[in-house]
Amino acid sequence: MPDVVIGQNVVIARGTQIAIAASDFTIPQGKITAIIGPNGSGKSTLLHAIAGLLPVSSGTLTVLDNTPLNSQSQISYVLQYTTVPTGTPLTVAEAVAMARYPGLGLFGRASKEDKKNVASALERLKITDLAKRHLTELSGGQRQRVYVAQGIAQDHAILLLDEPLTGLDITSAKTIDSIIHEEPERGCSVVLTTHDLEEARAADHVILTAGRVVAFGAPEDVLTTENLTNAYGLGALHEHLATDLHLPTEHHLGDHSH
Amino acid sequence: MEWFLDPFALGFQQRALAGGILAGLMTAVVGTWLVLRGMSFFGDAFVHGIVPGIAAAVVFDINPLLGAAAAALVMVLAIELVNRQTALSEDTSIGLLFVGMLALGVIIISRVDSYSGSLTTILFGDALGVTTQDLLIQAILAVVVISAATLFYRPLLALSFNADKAQLWGLNPGRAHAALLVLIAAAVIGSFQSVGTLLVFGLLVGPPATAALVSRTVPRMMLTAAIISVFSVWLGLTLSYHLNTAGSATMAIVPIVLFFIVLTFTRLRTLRREKVLSHA
Repeated sequence: MPDVVIGQNVVIARGTQIAIAASDFTIPQGKITAIIGPNGSGKSTLLHAIAGLLPVSSGTLTVLDNTPLNSQSQISYVLQYTTVPTGTPLTVAEAVAMARYPGLGLFGRASKEDKKNVASALERLKITDLAKRHLTELSGGQRQRVYVAQGIAQDHAILLLDEPLTGLDITSAKTIDSIIHEEPERGCSVVLTTHDLEEARAADHVILTAGRVVAFGAPEDVLTTENLTNAYGLGALHEHLATDLHLPTEHHLGDHSH
Repeated sequence: MEWFLDPFALGFQQRALAGGILAGLMTAVVGTWLVLRGMSFFGDAFVHGIVPGIAAAVVFDINPLLGAAAAALVMVLAIELVNRQTALSEDTSIGLLFVGMLALGVIIISRVDSYSGSLTTILFGDALGVTTQDLLIQAILAVVVISAATLFYRPLLALSFNADKAQLWGLNPGRAHAALLVLIAAAVIGSFQSVGTLLVFGLLVGPPATAALVSRTVPRMMLTAAIISVFSVWLGLTLSYHLNTAGSATMAIVPIVLFFIVLTFTRLRTLRREKVLSHA
């Protein structure tokens, strides 16, 4: 399976701070990739760079055989519901329909295909009955479902999700989780950030970050005690935490792991 | 009936109404985006920032619109310069330019013999002194501003939603933001002669903020803001005639009073709904 994202010696800065030091990594096509690491470890920074929203300071980042900026039209990025202000008076249907703007330009009218895409996204996220509701009238979980619906309503080859399941009610989390697993069946590559080790273990591919890419590859190769200790700095004093988390004890790394 | 018709019986009164309505329509459309983008402080600073341009125009006897446009450009560029060259927050750079430009305007106008009269006219406008030529320029600006706001509807809506998403949707948030700054400048420049630089801010923020309390979509918010603006201009001029108060100031205070009336009603309605739900 070819890789949709290839990072070689990639350095990413936020202002004057290096957020990701020189790192290599890949993201396979048609799979679920989880980016996991402590707070401030560069997970969202990596997503931003893949989306072309942050430039790479040095190294090479290839997305869909092109630069991130040139691939933007094929990338859909779902932000955390907490980061999107709700002040704009928008109904759920309008918010999801905005995802079709790239093909419509300034004045184009939505085609039957566009409307079908929006309706399908609402249905898949089980929010059709909320279509006429205002964004401010929704719970956090419902709003996150709206933003994921917006994400899948857009034409895309890669779906990026920033902590899509954090702090959600069970219904919303289950619905979004099913979308995450359905998207690869449609040929789409999914990349998500998470704090949840179990969520990362359930992915096909994992990138572990701690101010750099500590390791990447299959979950069983990356989420080892040694790598997690490196990334989270648990150290010998906190060995019992690793045991409590049922971390794998094998210290070997896979072919792709660094 | 006379109470309604008398304030607009004469030509200059009708021109004041027409000028106010044009200003109200422009500011309602632009002000909607200003409120949605959370740029009210910028708007406040901006309307003060054009004072030195108008003051210089008075001193050197050139068209005040040109002076206002030049000052608007200087203001925006200087804010951008401070933002790019320092780590200070944007409101600090806006605040610096707000005070600096207003002070410069007062210094320039203080060189004029009729200092207080000129300053009062710049800050508070001269609704009853609007000429037919002023109206013509205002009408052209109003058509340009409302057309451009329609043209940029999708980029501005996407920008209000989230700048990163706007970029990913190919709607160039930087260009949309720049377009919004130009629209704000055009609306302010096209309105200050009717309502004054200080009070045009009342029309920029008051009607859209009131409309936001009762609107579920952006187009409805714009339409509601435009209706509130026109009503405020008419009621303001009518009240100023009967109460013998300053026309521009009375026009500017109406939408602010309306905001608090609508806020009270919407809060009461919410409380009543919550009470019904708690009993159910």
